[in-house]
Amino acid sequence: MIPGEFDYHSPQTLAEAISLLVEHGDEAKILAGGQSLIPAMRFRLALPGTLIDINRIDGLSYLREENGHLLIGAMTRESALEESDIVQSKYHLLADAAAVIADPLVRNLATVGGNIAHSDPANDHPAVMLAYGATVMAAGPNGTRRIAIDDFFTDLFENSLEENEILTEIRIPTPAAGTGGAYLKLERKVGDYAISAAAVQLTMSGGTCTAARIGLTNVSPVPMRAKNAEQALVGQTLTDDVIEAAGQAAAAECDPSQDLRGSVAYKRDLTRVMVKRTIRKAMERAN
Amino acid sequence: MLGKSIFRDDAHGKVTGSALYPGDIEKDHFLHAKLLFTGQPHARMIRMDTAAAEAVPGVVCILKAEDVPVNEHGLVMLDQPVMVGLNSKKPFSDVSRWEGDRAAMIVAETEEAAARARDLIEIEWEQLPVVTSPVEAMRDETIIHGEEPSNVYKHYRIRKGEMAAGWAAADVIVEETYQVPMQEHAYLQPEAGVSYIDEEGRVTVEVAGQWTHEDQTLIAHALDIPKEQVRVIYPAIGGAFGGREDMSVQIVLALASQRLREMGINRPVRIQWTREESVIGHHKRHAVTIHTRWGAAKTGELTAIEVEMILDAGSYNCTSNKVLGNAHLTVAGPYRIPNAHIDSYAVYTNNCPGGAFRGFGAPQGCFVAESQMNKLAIALGIDPVELRLKNVLREGEASITDTPLPAGISIKTVIEQCADKFEEPFSGAQVLPRSFQSLPADPKALRRGRGFACALKNIGFSFGFPERSEAYVELRGRGEIDRVVVRHAGADVGQGAHTAFKQMVAEAVGVPYEKVEGVFSDTAYTGDSGSASASRLTWMTGNAIRGAVEKALTLWKQEERPAVGFFRYQPPPTEMLDDKTGKSNPNITYGYVAEAVDVTVDIETGHITIDRVVCANDVGRAVNPNLIEGQIEGAVVQAFGYAVTENLQSKNGHILNPRFSTYLIPGIRDVPQKVESLIIEEPDPQGPWGVRGMAEMPFIPLAPAITAALYDATGVWFNELPLTPGNVRMRLKNTLVPDLT
Repeated sequence: MIPGEFDYHSPQTLAEAISLLVEHGDEAKILAGGQSLIPAMRFRLALPGTLIDINRIDGLSYLREENGHLLIGAMTRESALEESDIVQSKYHLLADAAAVIADPLVRNLATVGGNIAHSDPANDHPAVMLAYGATVMAAGPNGTRRIAIDDFFTDLFENSLEENEILTEIRIPTPAAGTGGAYLKLERKVGDYAISAAAVQLTMSGGTCTAARIGLTNVSPVPMRAKNAEQALVGQTLTDDVIEAAGQAAAAECDPSQDLRGSVAYKRDLTRVMVKRTIRKAMERAN
Repeated sequence: MLGKSIFRDDAHGKVTGSALYPGDIEKDHFLHAKLLFTGQPHARMIRMDTAAAEAVPGVVCILKAEDVPVNEHGLVMLDQPVMVGLNSKKPFSDVSRWEGDRAAMIVAETEEAAARARDLIEIEWEQLPVVTSPVEAMRDETIIHGEEPSNVYKHYRIRKGEMAAGWAAADVIVEETYQVPMQEHAYLQPEAGVSYIDEEGRVTVEVAGQWTHEDQTLIAHALDIPKEQVRVIYPAIGGAFGGREDMSVQIVLALASQRLREMGINRPVRIQWTREESVIGHHKRHAVTIHTRWGAAKTGELTAIEVEMILDAGSYNCTSNKVLGNAHLTVAGPYRIPNAHIDSYAVYTNNCPGGAFRGFGAPQGCFVAESQMNKLAIALGIDPVELRLKNVLREGEASITDTPLPAGISIKTVIEQCADKFEEPFSGAQVLPRSFQSLPADPKALRRGRGFACALKNIGFSFGFPERSEAYVELRGRGEIDRVVVRHAGADVGQGAHTAFKQMVAEAVGVPYEKVEGVFSDTAYTGDSGSASASRLTWMTGNAIRGAVEKALTLWKQEERPAVGFFRYQPPPTEMLDDKTGKSNPNITYGYVAEAVDVTVDIETGHITIDRVVCANDVGRAVNPNLIEGQIEGAVVQAFGYAVTENLQSKNGHILNPRFSTYLIPGIRDVPQKVESLIIEEPDPQGPWGVRGMAEMPFIPLAPAITAALYDATGVWFNELPLTPGNVRMRLKNTLVPDLT
C-alpha cells in the first residue's frame, strides 16, 4: 500500500506550525507520533495534501504538576507515562491506561496529544480524559484557549479544534483525597483495540460516593461518558446492587456496533462487566 | 551426530538480517512486476482494456491469459487458470471463481509504474451467482467449474462392519455437529520472487516454495517447455506451513522472463506481494462442517460411528481432495472401531480455496474424534485417558480402512506418558487434581479446567502417490574423507531441515558435522526430494541419505575419488481408498501425539488463557532436540491461534480481514504460559535410525484439548471454533451458566 502524494513540512516552532496550518487549511494534517495517521494514509483512508510534522518543535514533551493539575505536553510519548513516577504514584487511571495502549513499539512513538486529537473512540485516552474531566489546550493564530474535555469530542474522528489550531497540552486535575481511578480493558489479543474498556474516577466520603465520572472506549461512534451509570453511583453507598445498576446503565447507554470484536449484545454485556469491575477497582483505590 | 542440538546453520544470518529472503535479493537492472487480482468471486470477463495501462511511462509489458501457452495449473488437478481472461485456449478461463484469481501481470521500470498501470486496466464483468455455502453449492444450481457435472467433485466412503449391530451394542450414543473455520498461514515473509534467464539459457525463478521440482514441473507445463529449460532455486524461506505448496508468483515470473527474452530484453524481474495480497492470494486451512454419531458400550468400547463431513474446497482444488482423504480417516481417531459409515465430500464454492496447512485435514478430523471421545467419557463416567487406552489401535488390529496401521504404533505410550507428566505438579506450590474432575467453584469469575486429546497423522503422501526422495552424497579426500558434500532439494522453510540433513549425513558417513557441506534446493544440482510437507522431509531425506552414503562408501572403498553416491529412496507403495468401502492401505507410516492443557476462562468476559500445555510427541529418534522443541512450541502457538484468537472472516467470497491488525495471530503475551515438550523415542521401523515425522502432530490435538478443559471449567461444550471472547461469553450466557458478580 502506497500513500497518496503530499507535501511535507517540518517546522521548528509552534508559531511556524500554526502559520502553515493557516496557509494550508483543511488540506493539512498534523503529524505527531504517526501511529494512527500513517496507517490511515497507507490505506488511503486519509489523503492529506500537506503533512506538518511537529516532532522537531521543542518544548511540547513534558509531564509536570502545576497549580493542582498534571500538565501533559501534547508530544509526550505514551512510554513516558509508564516511566513517570508522578503518573505511577498519583494518577492510577492514567497509569492503568498507559500500560495497555497498543504494544511497547507503538508506545515508544505514539503521543498523548495525538491519541486525543485523532478523536477515535477506539483509542484509550479519550475515555480516560473524560473520566478525569481534563482540559485540552489549543494554540491558534489568536493565542491559546482551553477546551473542556466534555466539549472536545464532536463526532467520529471529529473534535472542536479549529482548522488552524494545534492541541498543545492536556491538563488533568490532581485527584483530591478520597478519590480513586482505574482503567480496565479487554482485548482479543494483547495490543489490539479494546472490545470494551472503562475509565472510572470516583470520590468517596464515609462509604458514600460523592462524585463519579465514567468514560467508555470503543462502544460508541463518539468517545462518551456513561452519565447514567455515573448518576447511579453518586450519593449512594456502593453496594453490589448499586454497582450492578451502574453496569446495566452503562450497557444501556453505550452504542456499540457489530464487528470482528463481537456482536452488539456481547459488547453491551461486556461493557456492564467492565464498568462494574472498574468501579470496584477505583473504589479500592479511593479508600 | 544424532540427538545433538547442533546450532542451526541459518540462525546467524536470520538473526542478524544478512540472510536473503526472495524479496531481499538484489540484481542489476531489475524490472518490477505487479499482479492484478480480479477481485471477482464469480464473474465472466466480457472485455479487458489495457490501453491506458500500456501508455503509463515505464511499462514494459502486460501479460494476460492469452499469453499463457498452457493456461492451467494445480498440484493435484489442473483446474486453475494461471490467469483469467479472454482468448485463452483453455476452456472456461474467462471465468473468475475467486477474488484472488489473477487477470494480468504488469512488468515495468518501477514498482510504482507497475502499480499505476495495474490500476488503469479496465475490465467489464458479467456477474455470476456467488456461491459461498457448501451446502448450497451441493444443490448444483450454479456450477462453478463449467466442465464439471457437479460442484461435489470428490466423495469418499467408509463402509465397515454392520451398523445395526454397532448401534444395538451401544449403551451410550453421542450425536453432534461441529464447525471448524478457515485459517491463514500468516508466515512472516509474504510471497516474493525474482526471475531471469541463467547462463545456460534456463528460465530461472528464485522463490520461497516447498518443493522445487514441483514448481519446476508446473512452470514447464504452463510455459509448454521441457522441464530442463526451467530452473527453480529457493533462497531463505520465511515460513511455509503448507501455504507455499501451490503456485503464487512462480509461473507468472517465469512467464515474464520468457516474454522479456522474446522481446530481446535481458533483465531480471522481481515481484513482492503486500500482506493483503498474500492473505487474499493464497489458499487457507479448510472450513469443514461435520455431523457425527458415536456409540459405545458401558464398558467403554466403541461400537459404531457415523460421519457426514462437508469440506469447503473453495474455488479450486489445490490439494483439497487429499486433505479430504486425511480428514476422512482421522475423523475416526487412532481407535478400534468395528462398525463405521463415513461419507466425506469436497465441494467447490466461490470462497478462497482450501489447501495444505500443517496437519492437512487431521486438525479438523481429530477435533471431531477427540471431542466425541471426551463427551463419551463424561457420558460413561470413565476417565478420558482410560477411555482412550481401552480403544486405541494395537499392532495388527484393523484400522478404519479395515487394514492394520503400519508396524510401530506408539499411541498408547504417548497417551500414558502425557497423562503421567500432566499429573506432576505444575509448580511446587500447586497440585492440580486428576483430569476431568471439575475444580471447586471459584467465587470469582475465573474458572479453571483441564483437558486431554491425542491424535495420529500420516507421514508422507498418501493414497498411491509415488513417494520418492533423491540424494547425492560426495566423499572428497585421498586417504581420509576430508569433506562430504550432500546435494538435496528439500526446502528449509524455517524448521532447520538443512541442519538436520547434515547431521544425518555426518552420522551415516561417520565424520564430524563440520566436515559436511550442503548444496540445497536448486533444481540445477539436486534430484527430486518431494515436498517439505506431510511431516515427511526428515524421514524421507534420512532414508535417501542413508542409501546415497552407502553407495558412496562402497565407491570410496573401490578407491573412487571423489566418490559420489546417488540414491532414490522409494517407500512401500500405498493405495487409494476403495470407492465403495474405503478398504485400503492408504499410508506409509504414522506419527503419534497427545496433549493435555490447563485453561483459565473468565466466564463474565469469555476470555481464555492457557496456563500449561504438556505435549508428548513420538519423534522415533530425535535428530536435533532443540529443533524438535521449536516445532512443538511453534505448533502449539499456531494451534492456539487457530482455536482462540484468529478469526478469518469472509463475506460473499471476499476476505474481510486480510491484515495483521484485524487477523490476530497470537503475540508473546497471549500464547500459552508454559509448553512442556515431552520427546518420546519409540522407533519407526521404516524410519532412518527410527526417525518419525513430527512437525504437524503437536498442532492437531490442542483445539479439542482446550474445549475439553473449557467443559471441565464451565460444564459447557464448544463445537465451533474460534473461541474468541465474544463467542465464548455468548455461548456461556445462552447456556445459562450463572452470572457471577
